[in-house]
Amino acid sequence: MSDRPFADLHWDGEALSPHEGPGRRFGVDPRCLRGDPVVGAWAHVCASPDPEARLPFDAPEVQQARRDALAWWFSLLGDALVCLSTLSLDASHYGGAITVARTPEHFALDPFARLFAGTAVATDLFSCVLPPAGPVMERYSGAPWPAGRF
Amino acid sequence: MSQATDILAPGARFPDLDLPDHDGRARRLVDVAGGDPLILCFSRGWWCPKEQTFLRGLVTLQDELEVAYARIAVVSVDPPEVQAAFRAGLGARFVFLSDHKRRWLDRLGLVESTDTVHEPYRPLTLTLRPDLTVHAAYEGYWFFGRPTLEELRGDLRAISKAIRSDWTPA
Repeated sequence: MSDRPFADLHWDGEALSPHEGPGRRFGVDPRCLRGDPVVGAWAHVCASPDPEARLPFDAPEVQQARRDALAWWFSLLGDALVCLSTLSLDASHYGGAITVARTPEHFALDPFARLFAGTAVATDLFSCVLPPAGPVMERYSGAPWPAGRF
Repeated sequence: MSQATDILAPGARFPDLDLPDHDGRARRLVDVAGGDPLILCFSRGWWCPKEQTFLRGLVTLQDELEVAYARIAVVSVDPPEVQAAFRAGLGARFVFLSDHKRRWLDRLGLVESTDTVHEPYRPLTLTLRPDLTVHAAYEGYWFFGRPTLEELRGDLRAISKAIRSDWTPA
């Protein structure tokens, strides 16, 4: 059992997997993979399998996407929301974000797609996680936002 | 002694409210705090000019709280959809909790008895530790009874200093 503040998620540009295989490895909020999975959901993966695609988590554009999530993205998704997590590459680098919903109808408005283009894929991997209450958007001990707490 | 007086005393444990948020999602207050200090505001509602002014002030504080590991929650009897619109208009990124069914209003003893039209909460601001222990309470029936942003910063500093074991890094 690991005490890491993230779970592994692999993305090759077409498919998601929690298991090692083809594709780039990201850290995801472990709560998203911990509960009963929602069958027939959609994931909007705003990440690239290109190993050079990265930004500092502290970059203003990454901070603003998190602010937008708290301000309106969670509200817009409403009951369709399953979970959301940023995708970490290491303690300080952002590799993307994933929004999971019961319908892909609002994915065109995803604020994280401003950073890395989004791809919608059908998925049965993810479980429901309440969105963060805000306004905290700093990360907890290297966890991919909004995972973790003190 | 009233229920409200008991639960507002510094050191008292405030009840772990269970209410829907502005999006209708079920929340518990201790989870809203999420291990961080919490500013908890009981508000008359969106229609009150004093509440609008006070909450606009809190919105100016959220840029600090978003990096300072501290939270804000606002409780009113407005329905979630009304809170969502009010929150969006304010530009708030913190949570609103709706007691539109008034499940907690009487239990907490916080009804504003002078307003027989809206039957709202009486304005009150609390600063709480993550476990919902009361640090300070500010009665806001008169506007100047409410905490200034500097007083809130002082409370959050005191709570953070008490709960963060690495406040003074080794």
